[in-house]
Amino acid sequence: MKKTMDRRKFLPLAGAGLATGYAAIHRGQEKPSGPRTASSVAILKAASYEQDLLDHIIRGLSECGLRVKGKNVLLKPNLVEFSADTCINTDPRVVAAAVEAFERLGAAEVIIGEGPGHRRDTLDVAEQASYFSAIPQFERRFVDLNRDDVSFVKHFVDSSGIYLANTAVRADLIVSMPKLKTHHWSGVTASMKNYFGVVPGAVYGWPKNQLHFFGITPSILALNRILGRKSFAIVDGIVGMEGNGPIQGTPKHCGVLIFGSDLVAVDASCCRVMGVDPNGLSYLTGAADGNLATEWIEQRGERIENVSQNFALIKEFAHLRKS
Amino acid sequence: MLVDKIDVSLGPTSPRLQFLQKTQNSDGGWGYFPGKQSWIEPTVYATLALSQNPASAPQVARAWNLIRSWELPQAGWQISPQIAEANWTSALCINLYAARGICDSHLIRTVDWMIQTVGAEGGFLARARAAINPVPNECDYGLQGWPWRPNTSSWVEPTAHAIIALNRAAVTFGNRINLAGVRARIDLAERMLLDRRCQDGGWNYGNRRVLRTWLPSFPDTTALALLGLLANRRAEATTSLARAQDYWRGSTSPLATAWLKICLRNYGLLSRQQSPPAAGGGPSQDILLAAIQSLGEAAEEHCILGLPDSLAGRTSA
Repeated sequence: MKKTMDRRKFLPLAGAGLATGYAAIHRGQEKPSGPRTASSVAILKAASYEQDLLDHIIRGLSECGLRVKGKNVLLKPNLVEFSADTCINTDPRVVAAAVEAFERLGAAEVIIGEGPGHRRDTLDVAEQASYFSAIPQFERRFVDLNRDDVSFVKHFVDSSGIYLANTAVRADLIVSMPKLKTHHWSGVTASMKNYFGVVPGAVYGWPKNQLHFFGITPSILALNRILGRKSFAIVDGIVGMEGNGPIQGTPKHCGVLIFGSDLVAVDASCCRVMGVDPNGLSYLTGAADGNLATEWIEQRGERIENVSQNFALIKEFAHLRKS
Repeated sequence: MLVDKIDVSLGPTSPRLQFLQKTQNSDGGWGYFPGKQSWIEPTVYATLALSQNPASAPQVARAWNLIRSWELPQAGWQISPQIAEANWTSALCINLYAARGICDSHLIRTVDWMIQTVGAEGGFLARARAAINPVPNECDYGLQGWPWRPNTSSWVEPTAHAIIALNRAAVTFGNRINLAGVRARIDLAERMLLDRRCQDGGWNYGNRRVLRTWLPSFPDTTALALLGLLANRRAEATTSLARAQDYWRGSTSPLATAWLKICLRNYGLLSRQQSPPAAGGGPSQDILLAAIQSLGEAAEEHCILGLPDSLAGRTSA
């Protein structure tokens, strides 16, 4: 049978190829040197937000051997827009449990920060998403990263630098706390793409259109290069979003929290939990040098096959379905 | 990072103006929040807000000195002490200069720069890219507004601010600026705003339909787009005003209701005294918000961010 490739299949593959090439060219900048070792990713079942999430989060941090004592911690949830009809944002109960967990484990300070891409009134989005009521002292802890003071970082994409929110640049540890969602531009959005929120709207606008001009994949890779080494991820997959995410998709109960220090490994595991082939996502293949094999991920807690379910994909990303 | 709040309830009158007076930085500008570095956006709005109050003249003078020192050699204003590049906020500065009646060579150069600045979506590369891979956003990319930052795409909010500023500059300065260029550019941008209007009658950041799905509007961008259309497109804005009035009754966002108040006052649909029925939140530490709220409560019937009678075509509130 003659194999054909239409434009819809060709473009993502071409993007993945370009991203891999980009990563190869910039390997010295993109990847830490030294021999590669397996990364720990913990998947814990959590049936609902009513459970003891504090216990889950402390277990997840422990499974991954994360040390937080004395560190200034920035929790970076995914706070985008609010709609009562779906579940766009990281659930505030997960964030509240993370605040308590990091404080119990001896963090010097726990800040929550976010810079939404579309909405200028960040606190109103937070209010609608119940962050004020669910998280003690929320407003005192919260930094609007869109309007934070900023620092310049050279060589973001090629020769272009970028301004980033100081709260992120100066944190000892950034905890990316995304919602497990499909995404209509990037296929899947999880802990790496979540870092778009540290790019300040005060410089780049609402939306942060400059990142699209840099390229979504190169921007994700660059943010991961800059921030990835002081990062940890806690992914809210208790109720995720499928279909036309990240805003207009449909809630999908998945019943998991996913943890890890290596955001590439975490996001690859998120894909597998969603029934998506991570090798189809250009930013993951670019960040992982084209190798997302499971032997590089030390899976802890639940086995992926025990929690995996197919998240619906829009037709533009149907090719990502894991066979 | 966990800073104590500053008491914004300082007295029976103008608590927001007192808050702005107290939060001015030593360089004469304002940050988005107390104690933070100065940015051009809150500095311009705070300056406009304090200009209502003669007792604030010393603060206004210091702010004005800072803004003058941020003029860039080619055109525009830098956006913070460390970012010496001009972006959409130059429209805010044009508005401020027009409010103060300052039409110097820098202002004229910046108006020319604004006329020439267009969204990158209409450029050759963008159109070639769209031909290869059809853009999933359904709008007319030939209608270019203004970008947040040069060499990126047009969006609703910077376009609205640019229209407001150029209209004001045209009325205030007449033939001292390139009036023909201003008018042509405003016409194109007004058509861009109308093209980007959402199905519900309002506006969001600028995508009305993406990947076969209609997107909802937002209250603050609806107000801003309507302000942009106030001068020349009032008739075409009628259905959108109903959307804005719905938002006024229901929005919980203090920032959105502040913009809605300015918008609806300018369209003669709201009085100075009316307060938003649903807006939440108590005293805020948000300097930009305080300044915009103050402008919405300005004593003039035509708020300072609105348009002179001659342009707005309106005789009474």
